[in-house]
Amino acid sequence: MAIVLNTILIIVTALAIPGVINRTRALLAGRKGLPFTQHLRNVNVLLRKGAVYSTTTTALFRIAPAIYLGAAIVATLMIPVADLYPLISFEGDVICFAYTLALARMAIILAAMDTGSSFEGMGAAREALYGALIEPALMIGFATLALFCGYTSFADIFEHEQSFDLHLTIVMLLTAFLFVKITFVESGRVPVDDPRTHLELTMIHEVMCLDYSGIDMGMIHIAGWLKTACFSMIAANAVTATCCFHWWCAVPLAILLTGVSVGVVESTQARNKLVRNTTFIVTISALAALIFFIGYLLKLNINI
Amino acid sequence: MFYITLLSLLTVLVAALFLTPLRQKMWVAFASVVAAAIAIAIPAIGVLAGGSEMELMRISSPIFGEESLTMDSLSALFSLVIGIAGVSTLLYSRGYLAHYLDKKSSAHISLHYTALVVLVISMMLVVISSGGFSFLLAWELMTIASFILILFDAERQQVLRAALAYLIMMHIGFVLLVAGFASIFAATGSANFADLAICFSSGKTLPIFILFLLGFGMKAGLFPMHVWLPEAHPAAPSHVSAIMSGVMIKTGVYGVMRTLWYVVESSELHTIGIIILAVGVITGLWGVILAAVQNDAKRLLAYSSIENVGVIFIGLGIATLGQAAGNYMVATIALCGALLHTVNHSMFKSLLFFGAGNIYSQMHTTLLDRFGGVAKHMPMTAILFFIATIAICALPPLNGFIGEFLIYLGMLDSIRDGVNTIYAAGGMLALALIGGIVVLAFTKLYSTIFLGSPRDHHVAESVEVDNFRIAAMAIPTVGIILIGMFPQFAIRLVESVAKQFFPAATSTVIDMYIAPNLWKISLTAWLLVIIILLLYILKSRAQRTRIIEQGPTWGCGFTSPNIRMQYTGESYSEGLESIATSLTQNTVEGRTVGKSEIFPSSHRYAVRHKDKIDRLFAAWWVELLHIINKRIMSLRTGKINHYILFALLFLVAIFILSLFNWI
Repeated sequence: MAIVLNTILIIVTALAIPGVINRTRALLAGRKGLPFTQHLRNVNVLLRKGAVYSTTTTALFRIAPAIYLGAAIVATLMIPVADLYPLISFEGDVICFAYTLALARMAIILAAMDTGSSFEGMGAAREALYGALIEPALMIGFATLALFCGYTSFADIFEHEQSFDLHLTIVMLLTAFLFVKITFVESGRVPVDDPRTHLELTMIHEVMCLDYSGIDMGMIHIAGWLKTACFSMIAANAVTATCCFHWWCAVPLAILLTGVSVGVVESTQARNKLVRNTTFIVTISALAALIFFIGYLLKLNINI
Repeated sequence: MFYITLLSLLTVLVAALFLTPLRQKMWVAFASVVAAAIAIAIPAIGVLAGGSEMELMRISSPIFGEESLTMDSLSALFSLVIGIAGVSTLLYSRGYLAHYLDKKSSAHISLHYTALVVLVISMMLVVISSGGFSFLLAWELMTIASFILILFDAERQQVLRAALAYLIMMHIGFVLLVAGFASIFAATGSANFADLAICFSSGKTLPIFILFLLGFGMKAGLFPMHVWLPEAHPAAPSHVSAIMSGVMIKTGVYGVMRTLWYVVESSELHTIGIIILAVGVITGLWGVILAAVQNDAKRLLAYSSIENVGVIFIGLGIATLGQAAGNYMVATIALCGALLHTVNHSMFKSLLFFGAGNIYSQMHTTLLDRFGGVAKHMPMTAILFFIATIAICALPPLNGFIGEFLIYLGMLDSIRDGVNTIYAAGGMLALALIGGIVVLAFTKLYSTIFLGSPRDHHVAESVEVDNFRIAAMAIPTVGIILIGMFPQFAIRLVESVAKQFFPAATSTVIDMYIAPNLWKISLTAWLLVIIILLLYILKSRAQRTRIIEQGPTWGCGFTSPNIRMQYTGESYSEGLESIATSLTQNTVEGRTVGKSEIFPSSHRYAVRHKDKIDRLFAAWWVELLHIINKRIMSLRTGKINHYILFALLFLVAIFILSLFNWI
């Protein structure tokens, strides 16, 4: 029962986040904005369309969206919603989670390269580099959780940490901050990437899917929502573990945390110059290492 | 007795190979390797299945004393790997050498096959010799056989240079090993591996261990002794690269594991663990970054072998550190990871080199930017290469993931238990970065060769290779898929080896902790595959009733995009290159289009990324002289006032020195 509820809730989170982002942006810009469910309607239309495939592409291009979405679904099934329990859970599932998402990334990169387009190659090259550089941040983030909580599986990490310890609160909040930052990179949002830009030369994620249409495009969108939901749920779990560890607290928090923060950042900040992105991402990794170190010191009971 | 048997065996082999007709030579060689593989697989499987250590042959000679060929579980694991890789390599060589049969002399082909068989047999001897002298003999035989194999295309200047460099570096390593065994001999009176234990317990652990690490590291390609690898692999024929990279460099890993085994009880264990971990991290990172910037398929694969050796050493380092801290759980997990990664790497790296051989035999080049869209002409090669690519990127659901998962799990558990936290976190950081960049390197390799539009008109002429080669490639592919989808059974392969290292803890850790987890990973892998297939089938069914059109790639409104605008391998990794410039030395021919050129004219631009470490072994002293000379020359400014100043300074110096009675 808990597993079914867990799965449903994380899907709800995934579907709600893009809506919240749009509403936040509209509100801050003083516009009327899109309806809350506009993104669902768009994908619904896509799923009912036919498709155009480039003659340059091979069978890999057609199976890549299935790999992308399939890997995203499996990764999503590993994430617990606060006190509930995910379908897939074992010691070290944090590693499996990161590598399943890497499989998704690899599929979409190869698909982009398959078109032989210079624009999509550009996007693929950037995605590969940024994906490589964010990986250490992700792993060290998990290592911090493992160090402080004494478990190596998402479900155990969050389930067993419900004390109101000051050290724990500090580390958990810092980790949550780290994961929000990782969400920005992994889901291709400002300041790393701008999904709404009008110029292909400056895109990263969107430019990789230029040749997809119809169902394929719909699958890519859905996979993107799921990925975002995974990371924001980890961040929300880390926050709720310090105060109110229940699913009815974690779900709204996950939706709002990412939804509002992405909305606010996109309304107030411009996108980075592309050369600055590397620095931005490496800084996140450095931040992760710093948080790990703080966690280590606190664990040793050294007061700083 | 042993030496006479070995010699007569070799004579028979050479006679048989030289006497058979040209086209049958391959089958004679194949039969001998299969026979050797079966002969060694029977005791090996017996030992791995839980049997006790087995003495296969006793070697006694008046000069070298009592030695023996012994099959224990570590030897058994490596002999199985060697046997499987040997068989698939021989099978592959038939198609690959087919078009050389008319060009090369019969003796040349015979020599090549003799060396190939000798290489396989000598590697088997290396892993089962327990005595120092027979070990060194087999080791040297292995080096010479591989040297002859690299020399296959000796007409090319480049091949000759690479082979000589290989021979020289291997002998530096050999001297170090001889020194190592000599010091055992001096301390104990005999030079068996088992005497290492006495040697280590008597003090001097660290120097002897480092001697062996350097000697074996030369073969394994540890930083900074890896420079022979990226030279030798592009020079050698592809099946030779496959067996050298997949298996031969693993004999170096075997040597280090064998040595480590005897350090079990030592106060220096912690230091040794740190050394191995640090070496692993540097080797891995260096290998992967250099791999990502290469523009030659075989060179890229060679650097990736260096990286994988680094990953294996990270696992070994964590295992050793865990053992030093008395945390046998971490030690067992990381060791199982390192062992499994060794097995896995032998599979996917052979497969990748076979794939590179396929495209080389069609297009006679391995330069990445000559390819593009090969998948349409060689679909089987493309599919098998794709499987190997996923496996080497350590992605689920294939075998590469299982090995790295266990290494990660060892580090995570180490962090969780609060032992060696900082070291484990460092290893984790490095492994994560390696894992990320591997994806970059191999998406580059796969996509520039197999995907996109052809960059060269030769691509259109390429056809799929013969079925023998595909069959040879199928052997490692089966292993890759089986280990990836059923890791809970694959772990039993390395169980008895881990037990040999940590007799007390292994069974409990594997049964209670690793195996249940791997069961769940197996289920996850199946779930992943099923979901992907389901999604694809659903999509295809839905699309059946829709309008599906074909058209050119979307050019973003640009009306005449051409093939030359496609991303090349070089442009793909440009971002990483701009970060990692300090690791490579770039030689640039031609120039890029300048920013101020509004109407660019035609340009030629070629860049080659050379390893900076190359210089260390090429002629570093010459470089040093150059640098010193340059520094001194900067004093010669050509201005008279400076020269007067120098004279003045000289006088002042004399004055001060005499003041203190120093002259």
